Amino acid sequence: MKSHLVKINLNGVEREGLCESRTTLLDFIRHDLGATGTHAGCEHGVCGACTVEVDQQIIRSCLMFACQADGSSVNTVEGIAKSGDMSDLQNAFKKHHALQCGFCTSGFLISADDLLKKNPNPTETEVREGLSGNLCRCTGYVGIVEAVLEVASTRARKIGGEHA
Amino acid sequence: MKSAPFAMHQVNSQLEILNLLDQYGEDARIIAGGQTLLPVLAMRVASPDHLIDINKVVELKNISLSDGLLQVGAGVRQAELENWSGLHKAQPLLGMMFPWIAHTPIRNRGTVCGSIAHADPSAELVLALAVLEGSVILVSKKKRRIVKAKDFFVGALQTSRQSNELIEAVQFPICNPEAGFGFSEYGYRHGDFAVVAVAAIKQGDSWTIGFGGIDDVVQTYQCVASSLNEVNQFIDDLAAEVEVREDPTATSGLRRHLMRSLGKRACQQAIDFKSDGIR
Repeated sequence: MKSHLVKINLNGVEREGLCESRTTLLDFIRHDLGATGTHAGCEHGVCGACTVEVDQQIIRSCLMFACQADGSSVNTVEGIAKSGDMSDLQNAFKKHHALQCGFCTSGFLISADDLLKKNPNPTETEVREGLSGNLCRCTGYVGIVEAVLEVASTRARKIGGEHA
Repeated sequence: MKSAPFAMHQVNSQLEILNLLDQYGEDARIIAGGQTLLPVLAMRVASPDHLIDINKVVELKNISLSDGLLQVGAGVRQAELENWSGLHKAQPLLGMMFPWIAHTPIRNRGTVCGSIAHADPSAELVLALAVLEGSVILVSKKKRRIVKAKDFFVGALQTSRQSNELIEAVQFPICNPEAGFGFSEYGYRHGDFAVVAVAAIKQGDSWTIGFGGIDDVVQTYQCVASSLNEVNQFIDDLAAEVEVREDPTATSGLRRHLMRSLGKRACQQAIDFKSDGIR
């Protein structure tokens, strides 16, 4: 029975829907709110495809019930860039072939974005550790790591340029 | 991968939790971070009729230091304790372990007490509580009791918690500034449960060494050793003598090998330990 009224701020827009207590945040975002950019992979917390940001913390949306997110601010891959544009991270993923089938990509983008916020200048090891919660079965990770490292150094140069 | 239906009780106070536990007992489960419970529900290994969500209970979100104890409330997330400024001074062993616990998104949501409640013998926090000889505070509507780790963990995923009790907090003893700590672990992938994990504590010539993943509960051993060679010999003897689990993930032979190699690494770390923080 859909007895829980859940209101969230999804990528800056107030949204609401009715759901069951057992509905995960993942299913609520995809099925009830129609934001299908976040992908349902393993649905038991292993693959990281469903990673989203809830109140500035990245979490697995398959491991949280929607009713627990009531009142929260949720950011998904749809919120990374303005419509029609791509963020620097998304462009770098494209350039470095950091995706093939793309199923894991939304989770990787959310995780990589969070990693770069916390650690703007990571080493390769730190990138690999920071993204270890996300699985990709296509790329072997090399392109993903290169993309994140390139964005880190480009952003650092940009900031350096502004200060010069 | 969808949970069976259940009634969700989202409460705001500890009193409400205790009343619900009193009312529903075995039919209810506490949900804090849910990082183990949600997969268990999704795979329908468990299908409780009631979930009691304690995430809004402010009184359970405390980290405090008093009477030589670091006390961590049931609502404290693993990442909160990991990033708490006083952690490395209060209990550096925990600081050394956190990077090994799952991944950032899991630690952002999972709680310290939740891991203790789950009582997986391969879990880092379970090993920490056992080797540090910490305690668990259990409360029911009628009673509050403090149970030592060795009496709390009674088997794999089994604890002495009664069905009407809430784990209010766990207590880790604050570290002795003279002590040295070491931690070493092997798992198949980053963030997996340990095949074997070892924590070593050195206080002068007295050693406490705990092994996770070798048995249904964490096993801790104590010895007196004045040199690395002596403690290494103790570990070699242990690895040859004690009962060690064998399962599809690892043979007992591999686990014995890991006891020796990781054990020695952890002890070397404990000898080299400096309280201003190695990680």
